[in-house]
Amino acid sequence: MASFPYVSFRQASLRQVGVVALVLATWLVSAAFAETQKEYSFTVGPNANISVDTQYGAISVRPGSSIQVVVTATLKSDKVEVDRQQNGNRIQIESHLLPGANEQTGQVDYEVLIPPDATLSVHSSTGPLSAERLQGHLTLEGPDAMVNVRNVENGHVHVRTMRGPITVTDVRNAYVEIASIGGDVHLKSVTGPVVQANSGSGKIFYDGDFGSGGDYRLTTHTGDIEALVPADVSADFSAHSVLGRVQNDFPLQPKQDSRFSVEAGRSFVGTVGKAASKVVLRSFSGRIRLKQR
Amino acid sequence: MTCSEVERVLPELLADAPDGALPEKFEAHVKFCPACSDLISDLKLISAEARQLAASEEPAPRVWVRISAQLRSEGLIHDPESAPAQPVLAPASTPPRWRWSALWLAPVAAAILAAGSYVISHKPAPPVAKQQTPATQATAPAAVTAAVTPAPAPARAPQQLAQKSAKPESVKSARVARPAVEPAPSAEDQQFLSAVSTFTPAMRTTYELQLQAVNADIRETQAYVDRNPGDMDARQHLMDAYQLKALLYQIALDRIQ
Amino acid sequence: MTDPKQGISEREAIEQAKQGNEAAFEVLYQLHKRRVYSLCLRMVSNPAQAEDLAQEAFLQLFRKIGTFRGESAFSTWLHRMTVNVVLMQLRKKGLPVVSLEETLEADNEAPRKEFGSRDVKLTGSIDRLQLQRAIDRLPPGYRTVFVLHDVEGFEHNEIAQMVGCSVGNSKSQLHKARLKLREYLKFMRAEKAKTG
Repeated sequence: MASFPYVSFRQASLRQVGVVALVLATWLVSAAFAETQKEYSFTVGPNANISVDTQYGAISVRPGSSIQVVVTATLKSDKVEVDRQQNGNRIQIESHLLPGANEQTGQVDYEVLIPPDATLSVHSSTGPLSAERLQGHLTLEGPDAMVNVRNVENGHVHVRTMRGPITVTDVRNAYVEIASIGGDVHLKSVTGPVVQANSGSGKIFYDGDFGSGGDYRLTTHTGDIEALVPADVSADFSAHSVLGRVQNDFPLQPKQDSRFSVEAGRSFVGTVGKAASKVVLRSFSGRIRLKQR
Repeated sequence: MTCSEVERVLPELLADAPDGALPEKFEAHVKFCPACSDLISDLKLISAEARQLAASEEPAPRVWVRISAQLRSEGLIHDPESAPAQPVLAPASTPPRWRWSALWLAPVAAAILAAGSYVISHKPAPPVAKQQTPATQATAPAAVTAAVTPAPAPARAPQQLAQKSAKPESVKSARVARPAVEPAPSAEDQQFLSAVSTFTPAMRTTYELQLQAVNADIRETQAYVDRNPGDMDARQHLMDAYQLKALLYQIALDRIQ
Repeated sequence: MTDPKQGISEREAIEQAKQGNEAAFEVLYQLHKRRVYSLCLRMVSNPAQAEDLAQEAFLQLFRKIGTFRGESAFSTWLHRMTVNVVLMQLRKKGLPVVSLEETLEADNEAPRKEFGSRDVKLTGSIDRLQLQRAIDRLPPGYRTVFVLHDVEGFEHNEIAQMVGCSVGNSKSQLHKARLKLREYLKFMRAEKAKTG
């Protein structure tokens, strides 16, 4: 059984002094960087269009009132300002760097509440960017930003990064278009009429059932593609890697595909169930793997 | 032995040899205790599966591009048989006027895409049996070729080390060896980098490395298509590679405008 | 180790690299890039950072290649250098390399244990993607020791020396990391079962 150590009066005083010094130092550091938080509200009608653009900082978007857009901006220093403009239902929020700003002092983090069906466009070079529980037309872009989209229904999702990783989760019945030059792409429970993901050197992971009778195209140049699907998937699969290997751990019904000749180890085609969805997995030199969950 | 005693000694027992045999009195308890048995089984499984993750990821080609560029700049690479190193960066003569220089990026991005698809669809193919599309004798106009070609033909790697294999016995042997010297960027790429330097200097290195990587992918795919002109899928990948280059231009353009 | 593409052995490539031959450098890079990059990625869970760290590890190696005498395996040398590069980066960022706490820590992000799955075994194989995600969720201190030991195969005395802790601490951290991964993996399975 542990016993509480005896603490002398002197030790307690020293400890108190230490705590006060720490609090003071923290306050001084914060004051030096002059971090401030500002909130802006805009009233909008149907079909609102919101864009948020920051060079440095995170942007997080969630659903709020159907007639209002609320933006909470946390400015890391006085070397950056927030410019805002409203033209009818169009809201534009932009970070404006002042002379001497750098990646730390020029950072603004945004938390945005928008009507669930609004059109949204967000951009940040550093990110991260996140959007959840929305239904509208969503565009998220950032060269190095980590992008996270979840719980979207019936909308459009467009994501572009240079090397930022992209995660899309629980997106149903949506048009999904993802492009990254080198970022990894994770798709989990993503279905829709059209789901396209293209990464040059990044990897693409798909975990889901390729449902909704949609058109799914996962393409990489050198990155690997891995798809994990349940036994009851209903899809027409085509997979081909020009220089890489393909591996199929799934029992497919064979079919003839005139697009390319099936070369063992480099391609496979086949159907499962009623082949409701079309799934095309392509890579120039990456490895492609279809696995059963 | 009790469950809490098992938990106390478990870190030591499983630390070094998770698959090894456990002490007798330990085994005796675990044999009849489902909770402890499950715990040990799970921890062993996690340890075993983790080993599979070693060396499971592949870095992007740009990593080597950066490394070789740095080694060269430090003088650690000095191959006398290779062509003289081309400067990676073309010195900007005068900073372009921002409105004029920024606006050209959009049409250039579109031109890259259009030129890529023109070259791919009109490239003359030899009369081979598996030809999918009719061969044409048209060659790409010089202006389009100049816009499309990412770089001049690179110097070959020294013969004592480079051995190209024609047969695709393995993934690597079917690939074209990357050149010993990174080709100089095209005029459009140089203007692109110059504009990036002017308006987003902090991102210059990132964009430059990405550009080198996509150009390397384009060159590699083009070389493959040259050797396998009937491979329509490879042609599509070449088109995709051009699209990614256009994407890179567009991402930069969004920042500059 | 021989690179089939180039037809030369690792030892020959090392000697050629000492002479400044770029193709030899590339041979060495191609032989070891996956191991180096994977290690960096597991430790920092960020692909862009992992690339930078892998680049730095190779650069440090290549700068010192003239001093390599072959007393130990080249891969061992590179491996240790990579770990040092990563640990230095973690220290520079003020992230805990290894937790100094020997006792169990309260973790506000620990998955709730209300699914009744605690007493259910992790049957069959573990999904690699889930395991990767679970490792990414580990606190940095736990992750370091787990990756170095279970993924990369370092011994506890080696880990202790590299990260600057005791062998006992290393074993304790490893055990806690495995316990936490077990929780995460069960949580993920339960979530998956719920959503179907």
